[in-house]
This record gives sequence, C-alpha cells and structure tokens, in this order.
Amino acid sequence: MSEDMGLIVKTMARATIPLIGIFGAYVISHGHLTPGGGFQGGATIAGAGVLFLIAFGLSEAKKRYDHHVYSALESLGGLVFLGAAMLGLSVAFFYNTLWRKGIAFAGEPGTLLSAGYLPIMNLAVGLKVFAGLVSAMMAIAVYRRWKE
Amino acid sequence: MKRTFGALALLFILGVLLIVAHPDYGLKFGLGGKDWQTYRYTDEYYIEHGIEEVGGTNIVTDIVFDYRGYDTIGEATVLFTSIAGAVALLRKWREDDE
Repeated sequence: MSEDMGLIVKTMARATIPLIGIFGAYVISHGHLTPGGGFQGGATIAGAGVLFLIAFGLSEAKKRYDHHVYSALESLGGLVFLGAAMLGLSVAFFYNTLWRKGIAFAGEPGTLLSAGYLPIMNLAVGLKVFAGLVSAMMAIAVYRRWKE
Repeated sequence: MKRTFGALALLFILGVLLIVAHPDYGLKFGLGGKDWQTYRYTDEYYIEHGIEEVGGTNIVTDIVFDYRGYDTIGEATVLFTSIAGAVALLRKWREDDE
C-alpha cells in the first residue's frame, strides 16, 4: 500500500496548500481588525500541514520536518509573546506602551499598523500554535506500532 | 448498585441545572435594555472603551491580549504543555524490529 494519495488529490493539494497558508497568514496579521487571531490562524496553517501529510505521505513529510526547528519555533513564539507583554513593564505587565506612547504600530485604529503590541502578539501566538500543532501531528504520524 | 446511585445523582444535578437555567428562578437569556446595563456592564465598558484604550477594532482581541492578557499566557502555557506531553509520550522508546 502506497503512503500517498492519488494524482488528483496531490495536484489539488499543491493548489490549495498555498491558499490555506495565505488565508491563515491573513487571519493572523489582521487579528486586531477582523475576527480571528493568532490561535485561529495558527490552527488554519496547521491544517495546511495536515493536508500535506495526508496527501503526500509520511516519508515525504518526514523529509521536510525537523523537530528541532519546530520546537525552537514554538519556544520562540512563546518568548516573543512574553517579551511583547513586558514592553511596558515600567508601568505594568501587559501595558500597551507601543500604542499609548505612539512608538510603533500606532496608526489610526482600523489600519494595519495600529493597536501597539497586538499584531506582534498575534504573530507570536500564531507561530506557536502552528509549530506546536504540526509537531504534535508529526509525533502522532510517526508513532505507528499497530502490532503488540 | 453503585451505578444506580450514580445515575440518580446525575439526574438530580440535571434537575438542579434545569431550575437554574429557568428565567423565572435563575439565569436570563437574551438580555437587552435595562437588564443589559445591570448584568452586562463590563461588556458595555469593553465595547465603549476598547478601541481608544487598546487600539484594535477587534474587541475580542483587545480583551484577550490586553485587558485579560494573563489568561492568554495561561492558555499558551496549556498548549505548550500539552504539545510537550504529547511529543514526550509518543516518542520511540524501543526499536520496532526487536
């Protein structure tokens, strides 16, 4: 039994995986403007990873997956989130100093570069969720001991 | 015997919850007008002040990442711990071709 799906599924996966990725990146980067955010967009991009694994098979996915990289990315996402939360530590934890002092990301509410640390946090959480879900998926996919 | 007792206890809890969810005795659903001001004043505050205080037009993101950011830190920690636990439990611990 071959691991990967047929030609039609693989071709459709080639077409849809970039679209899913772009849509997930849109959900993450517009998290402070439209519904969605880091968790939802990260799960969407992880869905592209699941589609890759199912369509192209485990051996193809193993070649492109390095668990050191993914665990490092997940930790990096968490650290960036905490760092963004600590930016205004002189006043309080989770003090949105970028927005209140107008340092960066301080445009009009409703534009892309607004809302202070919210876009940074959305990016960090999205990266974290994506890396975490993909590494959990790969761990489950590699674990195949059907016999006792 | 134990199972009967457990089923009876579940039935009792279900009845209590049904009474609690009744609009005449407990929770009200579909609040509006004056009830909104009495029971949902926190939501009113977030909706009115969210954009000027945080800057994002998505009020949910404003609440989740700014007003109640500690909750999101905890959520991210839960996700991290569950992923770490899953990967640690699913690793290969003996060769399959033994």
